[in-house]
Amino acid sequence: MSIHIEGVNKRFGDFVAVDNVNLAIKTGELTALLGPSGSGKTTLLRIIAGLEHADSGVVRFNSEDITGQHVSERGVGFVFQHYALFKHMTVFENVAYGLTVKPKKLRPSKAEIAKKVHKLLELVQLDWTADRYPSQLSGGQRQRIALARALAVEPKVLLLDEPFGALDAKVRAELRRWLRRLHDEIHVTSVFVTHDQEEALEVADRIVVMNKGRIEQDGTPEQVYDNPANPFVYEFLGNVNLFHARVKASGETKFTSASDDSAQQGDEQDGLAYVRAHEIEVLTSAEPDALPVTLDLITMVGPTARLEVLNQQDGKLVHIELPKEQFKALNLKSGDAAWIKPKYSQVFLGEGI
Amino acid sequence: MESVMSSIRIKPVIPGFGLTMGFSVLYLSLLLIIPVAGLILFTLQMSWEDFWRAVSHPQVVASYKLSFLASFIGASINAVFGTLVAWVLVRYSFPGKRIIDGLVDLPFALPTAVAGIALVTLYASTGWVGQYFEPFGIRIAYSQIGVVIALTYIGLPFVVRTVQPVLADFEKELEEASAALGASRLTTIRRVIFPAILPALLTGYALAFARAVGEYGSVIFISGNLPYRTEITPLLIVAKAEQYDYHGAAAIGVVMLGAAFILLLLINGLQWWASRRG
Repeated sequence: MSIHIEGVNKRFGDFVAVDNVNLAIKTGELTALLGPSGSGKTTLLRIIAGLEHADSGVVRFNSEDITGQHVSERGVGFVFQHYALFKHMTVFENVAYGLTVKPKKLRPSKAEIAKKVHKLLELVQLDWTADRYPSQLSGGQRQRIALARALAVEPKVLLLDEPFGALDAKVRAELRRWLRRLHDEIHVTSVFVTHDQEEALEVADRIVVMNKGRIEQDGTPEQVYDNPANPFVYEFLGNVNLFHARVKASGETKFTSASDDSAQQGDEQDGLAYVRAHEIEVLTSAEPDALPVTLDLITMVGPTARLEVLNQQDGKLVHIELPKEQFKALNLKSGDAAWIKPKYSQVFLGEGI
Repeated sequence: MESVMSSIRIKPVIPGFGLTMGFSVLYLSLLLIIPVAGLILFTLQMSWEDFWRAVSHPQVVASYKLSFLASFIGASINAVFGTLVAWVLVRYSFPGKRIIDGLVDLPFALPTAVAGIALVTLYASTGWVGQYFEPFGIRIAYSQIGVVIALTYIGLPFVVRTVQPVLADFEKELEEASAALGASRLTTIRRVIFPAILPALLTGYALAFARAVGEYGSVIFISGNLPYRTEITPLLIVAKAEQYDYHGAAAIGVVMLGAAFILLLLINGLQWWASRRG
């Protein structure tokens, strides 16, 4: 089932949550709506589900206009950040709920429901919890039950609102790999909301980056990561440093400092260069085009060395990440002078200057 | 001895178990346990025959029936409409909401005699409301219906005030999850919301019931106190005490006490059963 969002707007009072969004999601795709809080991603997801209604615009499943349909008629599976399991029902009753509330004519027999519930519980690897209550399960288990419950009604689309947001780091990493494999098995059109870029990059077939109610970029994880459409996407996807730069028409880039107010020469243009923390080379001796810096803070995070260095020209902080081994080989300590050279950068001309 | 020592060594953040527990026991003793024990001891001075004669007199039995039945009906009405009021106060915002919210507590604050007189004025056959029922042969004041109305009035705040916070804390996501799974609005209320508020509702029900069984002030005005018909048990106790039949009054009191205790125990059991799974 493909999802088509056409010119959707939603306001809460003066706050514009979704601002004229157009988006088409293909059948069987796993799409991430990625953005900071307040970017409208959850509102958009809830509009797709029918839990919110758009002020204007149209939502279609395939070609059918479902804008005015009540959530209970849309046939969506919705997974909430805080699981929203029914506390007074066992795991079995929770998963069976969607089947038992069907009108009598469409309701499967008790035996069929039991068979289906057990099959789903096996799918989420929690068959042994059938008779327990949600309060007896861990967060990760609860979320898998919530997913099984959503899948029980064979939804046309599966919508997940920050599904791993309430879980600790290890469980989160496990669950998202598991979700990816699950999606490869069942291929239901899925949309999940996240503010975690790593999660989006790892799990999704396609990432829609949102900001202030608008779509900033829409593409595969690789496209979005390697070719950010604008500075917002660049900054949102990973730890990034800003350098002032001058770009010649030939594409040659020279990094300068903010205090460098020497006149532009000929075909040069000022711009801002975005360089990711791990795309900076650290040198112990001067080289052409390398910027002199002073090492300030060094932290070892597992296999990675994180450095904060001060640009000697303008005193600005630059974040660098490099493998610990590599850093050890440089034999540098806090307070030492060094030189840095961006290996890869993207320059947005005229941005913020 | 050793276990006592070790329990002393674990210092809680807020100390003072001994002091607070001691005070609680003293307080409960003076206000609750000693009077109740005194009542029972006083009754024990009677012979069994005297006791039985006092508590099984047909007039007294009729009053038990009325007291417990009217309290039951009143509490049941409150369970339904109190929940509705709580729902409206939690879910919707409308002008005057705060005033209505405050009004709910009025039966707590208004002297019951005042309420009784007000109800009589309203429901008497010439009253604002009563006059419309009179042509149909329905008498509200000075009938058992009047007793039910008075007992409903004084029990209203209990259900509203116990259900309201539970409804306010109810996660909206649970309703949304239910709706997304295809449940109709009514099914969501029946299968998701109702089980969540049931323990609180039973608590409110028990409180409203207990309060109604013991109510005196507002009922005596509206009931008319006709023997065998509209006499409530507390009224009979007062009547006996006024005739210096203290033993008879105490005997009926003990029966009321026992019955109320058993009913509250039952309702508490039900409540435990309802909340066990949460």
